[in-house]
Amino acid sequence: MAVQAGGDTGLDVAADLPPASTHARRQPFTGWRRVALGLVLPALLVTVWSVAAATGLLSTRLLPAPADIVTSARDFVFAERRAVLPGVVPFRGAAAEHVTASLGRWGVAYAIAVAVGLPLGMGLGLSRWVSATVDPLFQALRSIPITAWLPIALIWFGIGEGAARYLVFVGAVSPIVIATADATARVPRQLVDTARMLGTPRRHLARRVYLPAALPGIVTGLRLGLTLGWTSLIVGELTGANRGLGAMMVAAREVGRLDQIIVGMVAFALIGFAADFLLRSAARPFVRWADG
Amino acid sequence: MSGPALCASRLGKRYGPLEVFAGVDLRVELGEVVAVLGPSGCGKSTLLRVLAGLEPPDAGEVTETGEPVRGPSPERPMVVQGATLFPWLDLRANLEWGPRALGRRDAAAVTDRLLAATGLAGSDHLLPRELSGGMRQRAAIAQVVANEPPVLLLDEPFGALDAQTRLRMQEWLIGFLAERRTATVLVTHDVDEALLLGHRLVRLSHRPARVVEELEVDLPPHRSRATLSDHRFVALKARVLEQVLDA
Repeated sequence: MAVQAGGDTGLDVAADLPPASTHARRQPFTGWRRVALGLVLPALLVTVWSVAAATGLLSTRLLPAPADIVTSARDFVFAERRAVLPGVVPFRGAAAEHVTASLGRWGVAYAIAVAVGLPLGMGLGLSRWVSATVDPLFQALRSIPITAWLPIALIWFGIGEGAARYLVFVGAVSPIVIATADATARVPRQLVDTARMLGTPRRHLARRVYLPAALPGIVTGLRLGLTLGWTSLIVGELTGANRGLGAMMVAAREVGRLDQIIVGMVAFALIGFAADFLLRSAARPFVRWADG
Repeated sequence: MSGPALCASRLGKRYGPLEVFAGVDLRVELGEVVAVLGPSGCGKSTLLRVLAGLEPPDAGEVTETGEPVRGPSPERPMVVQGATLFPWLDLRANLEWGPRALGRRDAAAVTDRLLAATGLAGSDHLLPRELSGGMRQRAAIAQVVANEPPVLLLDEPFGALDAQTRLRMQEWLIGFLAERRTATVLVTHDVDEALLLGHRLVRLSHRPARVVEELEVDLPPHRSRATLSDHRFVALKARVLEQVLDA
């Protein structure tokens, strides 16, 4: 063992340098640079698309020009709302109505998926009894595609609201359960041992150790569930609801309005992106410790 | 209640057909540091987990001041190599965990004293990953001694540190344990560390581990880096090394 001369007690905090990052990945871009780089590809796509539409290279019957889609989007959001007959799905000025209907369905179903998925996932990760009894059935059920649930959802819950909520739930709950179970099972035994040796009662371990330690993995599951639930929503709304982004897109297809369909797709993409961004931002203070 | 701070008698542990250790006797008194020295993979860490109550023995019994050990307890914590701090909590919250779990109202004051005693004052808002290896190990020891345990179990606590930092940490630990009169079992494969910190040395054989030798470490009580060049230390080290290599 090397012997160090001098009277240093080793208790000078400044002498102890923090460890370097162990990640091989380079530092990610942040701030305006990240935003600007993220916009490069969409801008390029829209430019090429506009040129192709303007030069006649691309038939507007197959894909309307971006300018037409912008006009439709403006109508969808800002135009004066007109009265429509019962059963008719409105488009002009109906953005708020459709988005509210979609968000409402999705919000309720996602909240139920979180309320069911988190405890179930933690149970699967923590208990071999729960894992042995529930996991086979869960794995079998989650292999069924969302669209295969549609007929039975229509019979159980009727056309519209109930079926759409059920499909969002089915889409969202699987990733939440799987990520939570996996993250919980991976919590280092050392942390649990330490908590017990510090006097933490067993009944507090799930809340005080497993949940915070597994949180980064759980947040990944919540994000995946959020996106999958959101994309499942459209399947439910394609089946006879007369409010919601999906319902609007079905109505647009029936009258051959490609521009309106694309407006619906863009709205889906923007809302999904924004919801994921909000969830990530809300979770960041709680999972900051796990960053590189 | 009476008896030694920690006592293991005829202790045995096996995992299926694999016998990890057998017939291990160990006594530690208050204020005493017993260094357990043994080759890598001989079952030292498993022995410590059994002493901590984290795993039951298959034979024999562990008692703490005469009372049988039935599970982990804040009276008998263990510190292992690497991080045992809760990574999502800052240093202060990590140190306050134990006193708060026991419902103590003076958790903040205890933490202030420990931060000062470990030279970590001013770092209390940092996350474990923002601390250096030496700071983390000091913090991990401070975390478990916050509950003022009469017994402390250390599993190669400085194994991951560089030689200089390790020596500084060993000097710090000698003073820290002496001040608290903590009965300590220190598991290590480093002869220098065993002799520098231990008042008594227990040497284990290869698996299945048995106690092959117990040795009083006859060195001055106030040990430091200077002890490493003391002729008695050098002679003792040569003797122990010879036995370890012959084993």
